[in-house]
Amino acid sequence: MTSPDTSRAGETAPCGPPGCCGSSNLCIADLSVHYRDLTAVRGVTLDIPEGEITALVGPSGCGKTSFLHSLNRLTDLIPGCRVTGSIHLCDGTEITHPKADVLELRRRVGIVFQRPNPFPQSIRRNFEIPLKEHGWSQRDIPDRIEQVLREVGLWNEVSDRLHQNATSLSGGQQQRLCIARALALDPEVVLFDEPCSALDPIASGVVEDLIHSLKGKLTVVIVTHHLAQARRIADHAAVFWMKDGAGALVEHGPADRVFSAPADPDAALYLSGARG
Amino acid sequence: MTTFSPSPVRRSPSKWPDRALALVGAIATLLSFGLFVWLVWDLVRLGLPRLSWTFLTAGVEDAGRSGGIGPLLVSTLWVLLCCLTLAIPLGTGCALWLSEFVRRGSLLARLVTGGVDLLASVPSIVFGLFGMVFFSQTLGLGFSILSGGLTLACMILPILVRTTLSALEALPADLRPAAAALGLSKTTATARILLPAAFPGIVVGITLGIGRALSETAALLFTSGYSTRTPESLSDSGRALSVHIYDLALNVANGAPMASSSALVLLAVIFVVNAAAVTLAESWLRRRLSFS
Repeated sequence: MTSPDTSRAGETAPCGPPGCCGSSNLCIADLSVHYRDLTAVRGVTLDIPEGEITALVGPSGCGKTSFLHSLNRLTDLIPGCRVTGSIHLCDGTEITHPKADVLELRRRVGIVFQRPNPFPQSIRRNFEIPLKEHGWSQRDIPDRIEQVLREVGLWNEVSDRLHQNATSLSGGQQQRLCIARALALDPEVVLFDEPCSALDPIASGVVEDLIHSLKGKLTVVIVTHHLAQARRIADHAAVFWMKDGAGALVEHGPADRVFSAPADPDAALYLSGARG
Repeated sequence: MTTFSPSPVRRSPSKWPDRALALVGAIATLLSFGLFVWLVWDLVRLGLPRLSWTFLTAGVEDAGRSGGIGPLLVSTLWVLLCCLTLAIPLGTGCALWLSEFVRRGSLLARLVTGGVDLLASVPSIVFGLFGMVFFSQTLGLGFSILSGGLTLACMILPILVRTTLSALEALPADLRPAAAALGLSKTTATARILLPAAFPGIVVGITLGIGRALSETAALLFTSGYSTRTPESLSDSGRALSVHIYDLALNVANGAPMASSSALVLLAVIFVVNAAAVTLAESWLRRRLSFS
C-alpha cells in the first residue's frame, strides 16, 4: 500500500506503487468502503490487468457495486460514505487521494450503469455536453460522435436521427448509447455495473458482444450476476462474499482457474450454483 | 401433502363503489368547471359591450366611469416585468441551491424551505405593508412601479421556489450520477442537464406566479400607488389593473360595468401572457433538446 506522502494525485511514474506490476491498470490495496457505521467492503487488495476483462461476481449485497463505484470516486456522491485504502492507476495517479482531480479521473475511469441513463436531450447533445466539458473542440465533435457510435454498432440505426431525444431509443439502444458516451471521452478503464440486467435477452447479447469487443483496447471491470456471462467474456474473475458482516474478496485469478477449480470453499459453492 | 378444500361459491366484487366514485368525480368536475364558465360568462356579458380599441388605449376619465385603461395596462405590464426580473433568478437560484448544493433533509434545508413555505402563507396585505415600509419609505423608492414590482416579487417568490424545487426533485434519480460519471462539473450538470430537464416544471411555476402577480391588489395599494397617468419611468407611480377594478367596484358610484370590462381585459392579459410564456418555453425546449 502506498501512503499519500509518496504518491500524489496526477503524479506520473514509470510504474504504479510498490506491489503494482506494470501490466496492471488499477492497483487496489486494502480497500474498505463504509456507510456511516456499516462496512460494505473490507480490505480488498486486487490488481486489475490492463486491456483485459475482469468480472466481479458474488451474491447480492456483498459489496461488489460499492467496490466498483469507489474505483472512480462515485462513492463521493453518497452522504456518509467513506473509503479507506488506496487505488492507483498504472501511471501512479492515486484515485483515492483527497486532492485528486476527480472530474479528470472520471474521464479516465468511465462507468456504465445497470439501467441506461441517457440525458433527456437529443442523441447529439448526449455526446456534446461531456465532450465540450473535457475540451474537445466543436469542429472535432461530429467525427468523434460518428466514430464511437460506429464502435458500438449504433451508427446505422441512429445516424439520420441524431436530433431526436435519446430517451426515444429502445432499452438496448440506450445502453449502447451510454457505452458510446463513456467511450467518447477516451477512457483507460470502463466499469460496467450489471450492464445487461435491465435488458431483454437479445439486447443483452448485443451489449455483451460489445463489451467483449473492448478487450485489448481498454481495461474493463464488470459486475455481473450472470455467471455464464462472466465465463464467456472474462479473462479474470474476482469472487466477493460476506465475511464477518462485510463484503470481502475471497477468490481471484484467471477466470478459467477461478471457475473450474476455486480454492475458497464459499466461492466453490457459489460458482457451482449450490449457494448464493 | 396438503389438500385444498373446494372453495365456496364467491360473488365477484361489486361494481357499485367504482360507479359511485366516478359519479362523485364527475359532479365535482362539473361544479368546478361550471363555476369557471359562469365567471367568464358573467364577465363577458357585463364587460364585452364596452370593450373597444379606444377602451384599451384611452386614458382614465371621470374616475374610471368613462374613458379607457391604456395607462393602466402599461403600468400593469411594467410592474409585472419588474416583478419577474427579480423573482425568476432569485427563485430559481434558491431552488437550485436547496436541491443541488444542500443535503436533502439537513437542518439548513429544512429551515430555508420552512421559511419559504411560511412566506407563501403570509397574507398579501402584509406584503403590501412591508413593501410600503421597506421599498417605499426605507429605500426611498416612494409610490412607484419599482416598489410595486419588488413587493410582488417577494410575494411570488415562494411559488417560484416551491415549483422549481419540486421540478428539480422530480427529475429521474439517475441523472445526477450519470452526469458525475462523465466527469461533468456540478455547474455543467446543473446548467446543461438538470435545468433543461426541469424547465417545463419551472414554466408552470412562472405562469402561476404571473397569475398571482397580475391579480394582486392588496400588495400594490400601498406600493405602486393610484396614479392613472402613463408611467414614464420605473420611479413613477402607476395604477395596476387589479387596483383599478377594486377602486371601481368599491369607491366609484356606477363603476361596476367598467370594472367588469377591466376584469375581462385582465383575464385576457393573464391568458395571453401565460400562453406566450408556455409557447416561448416550449419552443426553447424543442430547440434545446432536439435540434441543437
